[in-house]
Amino acid sequence: MNDTALLVTNLLFASVRMAAPLTFAGIGESVSQTSGVLNIGVEGMMLGGAFTCFLVTTYTNSFLLGILAGMLVGLLFGTLHALICVTAKQDQTISGLAINFFVLGLTSFFFLVLFGQASTLPDIKTLPVVPLPLLSKIPILGPAFFSHDLLTYVLYIVIILTTIFLKKTDYGIQLIAVGENPMAADTSGIPVKRLRYFASMFNGLMCGLAGSYMMIVQFGFYIENITAGRGYIALAAVTLGRRNPVAIFFVSLLIGLTEGVQFTLQSLGVPIPSQVFSMMPYLVAVIVLLFSIGRSNDPSALGVPYDRQERS
Amino acid sequence: MQIDMRNIRKTFFGAPVLKGVDFCVHSGEIHALLGENGAGKSTLMNILYGLYKPDDGTITIDGEEVSIEDPRDALSQGIGMVHQHFQLVNTLTVSENITLGLRETGYPFSKRKLIDQRIKELSETFGLDVDPAKLIKGLSVGERQRIEIMKLLYRSAKIFILDEPTAVLSPPEVESFFNVLRELRNAGNGVVIITHKIGEVMQISDRVTVLRDGEGVLQSRLEDTNEHELSKAMIGRTLTQREHEIRSIDVTSPRLVLQDVTIHDGKLSLLQNLSISIAPGEIMGIAGVDGNGQQELAEAIIGIRKLSSGTITFNGNKVDGRSIIDRMNNGMGYIPADRHNDAILLPMNLNQNLLLKKHLDPNYLNHHFLKRKKAESTTKNLIKEFFIKTPSENTAIRYLSGGNQQKFVLARELDSDLQLLIAFQPTRGLDLGATDFIQSQLLDLANRGVSILLISTDLQEIISLSDRIAVLYKGENMGILENDDQLDIALVGAMMGGKRLENQ
Repeated sequence: MNDTALLVTNLLFASVRMAAPLTFAGIGESVSQTSGVLNIGVEGMMLGGAFTCFLVTTYTNSFLLGILAGMLVGLLFGTLHALICVTAKQDQTISGLAINFFVLGLTSFFFLVLFGQASTLPDIKTLPVVPLPLLSKIPILGPAFFSHDLLTYVLYIVIILTTIFLKKTDYGIQLIAVGENPMAADTSGIPVKRLRYFASMFNGLMCGLAGSYMMIVQFGFYIENITAGRGYIALAAVTLGRRNPVAIFFVSLLIGLTEGVQFTLQSLGVPIPSQVFSMMPYLVAVIVLLFSIGRSNDPSALGVPYDRQERS
Repeated sequence: MQIDMRNIRKTFFGAPVLKGVDFCVHSGEIHALLGENGAGKSTLMNILYGLYKPDDGTITIDGEEVSIEDPRDALSQGIGMVHQHFQLVNTLTVSENITLGLRETGYPFSKRKLIDQRIKELSETFGLDVDPAKLIKGLSVGERQRIEIMKLLYRSAKIFILDEPTAVLSPPEVESFFNVLRELRNAGNGVVIITHKIGEVMQISDRVTVLRDGEGVLQSRLEDTNEHELSKAMIGRTLTQREHEIRSIDVTSPRLVLQDVTIHDGKLSLLQNLSISIAPGEIMGIAGVDGNGQQELAEAIIGIRKLSSGTITFNGNKVDGRSIIDRMNNGMGYIPADRHNDAILLPMNLNQNLLLKKHLDPNYLNHHFLKRKKAESTTKNLIKEFFIKTPSENTAIRYLSGGNQQKFVLARELDSDLQLLIAFQPTRGLDLGATDFIQSQLLDLANRGVSILLISTDLQEIISLSDRIAVLYKGENMGILENDDQLDIALVGAMMGGKRLENQ
């Protein structure tokens, strides 16, 4: 394998790692948005999941317990969001923002209380790499995509399953109906609120998983506000990928690639400020959004609470 | 199957909508539920369909008392409803909409081919033409209505409730729609048709129940009643038909001229080469089924929409490209069809709603500050002049009835140097008293030399007020007719369905 091929492989490998949490969260958000529940609290739910996963893994030394704890916290916030937006019919944007700030404050506080005195940054082990037989032998792509840890393979499975769920099953059709015309869904006997709860809770689970991935695959340590806006990038990926899990993965890969390029160039000593690359995902998002003006395919009832008794 | 609703009561925000209504319908009949807007017809049927909960009263099916919690309950009892606003999901296919919420063979991986097969069979049996693979987006209202009915058929509904089903159809479409209803009845189903049109009741129903102000005032077999009795029951007094008065108008120097006006939205053409002119003092009626370019026509003239091509001339000056305010200052007035969204701000009071229009008028300004006293006195005058029923000029306009809101909207337009009034559905949703008042005002206005563009989907209104009638169909002018004693109403009906007038 020559140097260029190795470089490409390494870049793609890093992109996958960058993309995985974005895709987990993005898939959750897609399901939520398809049902008409906008959740910009993705950032906070990821952060909550990451912190909890880190804590539990630190104290129990169990990846599995860590992941489950991270997902549980995500689930709690997903349920809270549904409670506020679906049952109490409050503003979805405000609820999402509140979750973001609440979790940021809460995690920072507990981090200081628990680790504030430590002189070294606490860290945990990360998941071992398990190359997949055969697939990982594919030149260039094999090592980049199929030589990862188990959680990354879980991501691939989640992408496939949610795609089937959304595109091929009656549940997917029902979810679209609930987000597009909840009244029509209701009169067809579809339990609108239950589906929105499900979607919002699933979103929480996925965000918790995204946070856990960051802990036990990407970083292995925790610092304050470690998600640092990745939740918002995931929201952009959802919009760019038009709520399609596969497309979201590729958009996230592209975003991950810009970060990968940044690290590579930095290590090669190219004098481009890292901030330029930090801008890239947002720049790409803004440009693509500009080009998709007037072609919004948002669900018609996105962000609108459903009230059967409301007279129009 | 026989459904009995007994002593149904329902209150919305403290206002009683149903005051103890009895209603019954059984298999094998077409039952008309007749009443004016706001009489409580839809509310009563929404209760039967499980969308609203009654405050009091019982529902029995074949003698057994049932509680209908939601539409799913209703459907499982064989009761289905097609709402006035169709309940279809635009981004799904016809077939997906029809089976929405059902558990078909293979659920949750339903076998589409089997479903589509069954849809085709039903569609042939009942003469309902639908294509299962098409997306709802892009279908006509007639097609959507067929899909709604198919949705109920597919769910083996036995009682079909249809809320104002003909409002969106052209006369020829109504005919074939009525045939479908007869097919349904002959197959042993019960049909409830909600309507305020007595002619329809006479044409299609076997039995009729009349609601007025939330009370059942008449229930009768059709052969035991007549139009006169029905109209008396519906409005509480005898209906007097407004006679059309033929006036002679000098059309040699028109005030408003539209020349080849075309509006595109992407590939869709909303208005296509529309040319009409209106003389001073003339009422030009624009007939047509809702959604055939009326909105675009009104908005193009007042300046809300840009033209893709063509010109609009007003008093000899080209106005396209000029601002809305400029057009209004030059004597144009506009009564929008959607009162609540386009004409008034519901939470604001009458003064503020007056200023909504007058806030740039120098007469109401003192160095950029509003003259509130002046606005108040104007509003008071308008309330008196137009008999607007309101506690005061400081009352939020949402507490006024639809008729009084519309009187205010009209009054506000008339309180300026008006030369052209675009009256778009000026009496939609109003009771007969308010309708009569508004129509008299429009005639008065025309007699004082104001040009009026009367856009209405109510053909009766067009015929009784207009001097000439143009018919819009899919954004095109099907032709212009003189509204004299030679007027062929059947021809107008056919034009509303797309027939083009020859030799034009």
